[in-house]
Amino acid sequence: MSEYRLEMRGMRKSFPGVQALDDAFLRVAPGEVHCLLGANGAGKSTLIKVLAGAYQLDDGEIFLDGEPVTITSPVDGQRAGISVIYQELDLVPDMTVEQNLLLGHAPRWAGVVRRAERSRRAAEAIRRVGGDVDLKQTVGRLSVVDQQFTAIAKALTFDARVIVMDEPSATLSQNELTELFDVIRSLVSDNQSVIYISHRLDEVFSIGDRATVMRDGRTVAEVDVADTTEQQLVSAMIGHRSGGGIEKVARDVPPADPLLHVERVHVPGLLDVRDLEVLPGEIVGLAGLAGSGRTTFLRALFGVDPSAELSATLGGVPYAPKTPGQAIQAGVGLVPENRKEEGLILNRSVSENLGLASLGNQRIVTPRGLQQLAAPLVETLDIRVSRSEQLVHTLSGGNQQKVVLGKWILKGVRLLLLDEPSRGLDVAAKQSLYDEVRGLADEGHGCLVASSELPELLANCDRIVVFHSGEITQQFDTDRTDHDAIHRAVITGREQAA
Amino acid sequence: MSTDVNTTSEQQDDTGGAPPTGYRRLLARVGGLGPIAIKFNLLLILLALVVIGSMLSPAFLTTRNLLNLLQQSSVLGVMAMGMTFVILAKQIDLSVGSMSAFGGITVAWFMAAGYGVVPSLLLATAGGALLGMTMGGLSARLGLPSFIVSLAGLVSIRGLTFLVSDIPIGGLPASFVWLGGRIGPVPMMGIVFIIVTIVCGLVLRFTVFGEYVYATGGNEEAARLSGVPTRLIITGVFVISGSLAAFSGVLRTAWLTVGQPQAGEGMELDAIAAVVLGGTSLFGGRGGVFGTFIAVLLLSVLRNVFNLIGLGSFAQMVATGIILVAAIVVNTQVLQRSGA
Repeated sequence: MSEYRLEMRGMRKSFPGVQALDDAFLRVAPGEVHCLLGANGAGKSTLIKVLAGAYQLDDGEIFLDGEPVTITSPVDGQRAGISVIYQELDLVPDMTVEQNLLLGHAPRWAGVVRRAERSRRAAEAIRRVGGDVDLKQTVGRLSVVDQQFTAIAKALTFDARVIVMDEPSATLSQNELTELFDVIRSLVSDNQSVIYISHRLDEVFSIGDRATVMRDGRTVAEVDVADTTEQQLVSAMIGHRSGGGIEKVARDVPPADPLLHVERVHVPGLLDVRDLEVLPGEIVGLAGLAGSGRTTFLRALFGVDPSAELSATLGGVPYAPKTPGQAIQAGVGLVPENRKEEGLILNRSVSENLGLASLGNQRIVTPRGLQQLAAPLVETLDIRVSRSEQLVHTLSGGNQQKVVLGKWILKGVRLLLLDEPSRGLDVAAKQSLYDEVRGLADEGHGCLVASSELPELLANCDRIVVFHSGEITQQFDTDRTDHDAIHRAVITGREQAA
Repeated sequence: MSTDVNTTSEQQDDTGGAPPTGYRRLLARVGGLGPIAIKFNLLLILLALVVIGSMLSPAFLTTRNLLNLLQQSSVLGVMAMGMTFVILAKQIDLSVGSMSAFGGITVAWFMAAGYGVVPSLLLATAGGALLGMTMGGLSARLGLPSFIVSLAGLVSIRGLTFLVSDIPIGGLPASFVWLGGRIGPVPMMGIVFIIVTIVCGLVLRFTVFGEYVYATGGNEEAARLSGVPTRLIITGVFVISGSLAAFSGVLRTAWLTVGQPQAGEGMELDAIAAVVLGGTSLFGGRGGVFGTFIAVLLLSVLRNVFNLIGLGSFAQMVATGIILVAAIVVNTQVLQRSGA
């Protein structure tokens, strides 16, 4: 009999171009809350998806209570006693709580659901999480925290031995979080094991027994939370990054009146940003963890989110777009996070995509006219196509991203918003993308670049603004700042770890 | 998909911070009753139509006329029951009109070829089930949209029907035609329609299969991760739809005493309209057969009332369309307000 409830050894998993897991391990004892920590891209999600059966391992072994298990599908994971509660809680919104709790394994007789027995078992599961949820209520009408409780109770109806919670706090208020912690404590006192994934270190200290820290696909630390400090955890997450690799490109931004001045952007419950300026010709980086509000901020600036309250000026004129159309009219362009879903029309040609934002200027659109419009840009951006009629989905990621960028150049914007522009690009493509951005800035455009790749921001931006929990907590000049300080600010929201 | 719908309605609730007034407040109040309100407002429209009909003609509110209406509703009704399963699972079946003709012609062909009444009836219905299984299986296994697969079904099953016989087949045995007749004043088909409705209602409400249909339509990914065999369920709803559509054709043949290859053209749209009018969401996972039952009757009564006031058939088509849209607008508004 092993001393561990769950042991994962020698986990390896690679995706094209990335070694997502590189000899990682995870050991979880019975009856403990085990926190899994790491910066974006450290390999946490990959590890959990392997455990849940969503990804197949390249190499490695998984043991449950000392027994080797093979998990090749989500159902395998459940049978083995592993239950993963994802952020987008996998519940059926139109069904009742009790239907959801025992969906897929309801007690039955000759194909007929035994309703009394189901109610009894559902009530039992809800009682064990200690929640106060109406079993007959439709899940879609529950509050988020009650949906969380339902998802946890559902895990219990599977006799889960290990319950994984993926950033459960992301959508909860402080009070709700306290309730959730009570539930987690009662679970572990019943000898369940809980793996708790979160970016927020304060949560680790309030709920965790032990913690595993991952970095670059490896497990770099396994600690008792009681014997460790925030400082040590942060150091483990950051590691000793050498300054080598990407060099800072030196630029001078001439002093001028700000192009964009944001007094306040407020999205209820998600974002409250004050006082941000972008000068003409300046590249400002937005750093922060996933969920820190960078994307929400950029979308609010672009008029995508109707509930955003914006008080800002662009070129000295009040700027508060209610639709992307108004933002574009004012001279703003967005290179969105998901280029394939939001940035491009994949099965149309390069020239059509380039011209998409500028079509309002034309009266009649002909393929020839579009080609003439697009041709110079294909040339200057060095988009590698055999002809501008080529369909966009046949291009490489780097060339696709240039098309998105080119769309705004053709439209003639003053302020360019870029959300994770280098996602999925190789080193050369990244380099050439940032060259283009720098070229635009040199012409006097303002650029806001959000990225989770801090080294990339450090190398390419003139200034870095750190987002944490929907607010701007720090601003750094990239020329004279200790890089570790920025890392710290990104993770903790403060410059100095306490 | 359904999560998206959810967030939109939540956002609308958020932005409506000011106290709702007039129409909105009324909707909010009605919305508290949720789906019951939908069924009730449909019943109310039905009752209103009955009142209008009885004022227009003394012949309307007679047992004889009402039973006639039930008889006329039955073919569409049986077909719409199967369609309800399909739409609940977030699928669509455009082939039911052709399938109905196929069932109606094959049952006559088998009897003309010397098979007994019961074997012919079972074979025709099983043929529908088999074709339904083929379409559902293709759609579920290969991930093809059921819209396309069943559109192909619509065309090729109609062709298949004409290949079986391109002329009407009559001279059917009396024991078969009995199915289209009456017991006293009560039409057999009406009884069959009601029994099919009750059985479908029980299956949806009390069986594991019924629950899986709702789960698959409500959130297919969540259902799959909970161990629901979603592909089997999608195949299953097409089997039900195919067999009930073929069976509705059998009923029509018994009623008209002749199998016709061109029967049921365009009926797939009537069936979809009835299901949606009955409060079942086209986005899946919400609704039931009771609403469909009322909606089918409502459509028949509407046609009857139009005839009584002497509305021409083209004007009837326009008016039916407008009423359909109006009813669905009201239902979706109530649904949004109820926060579901």
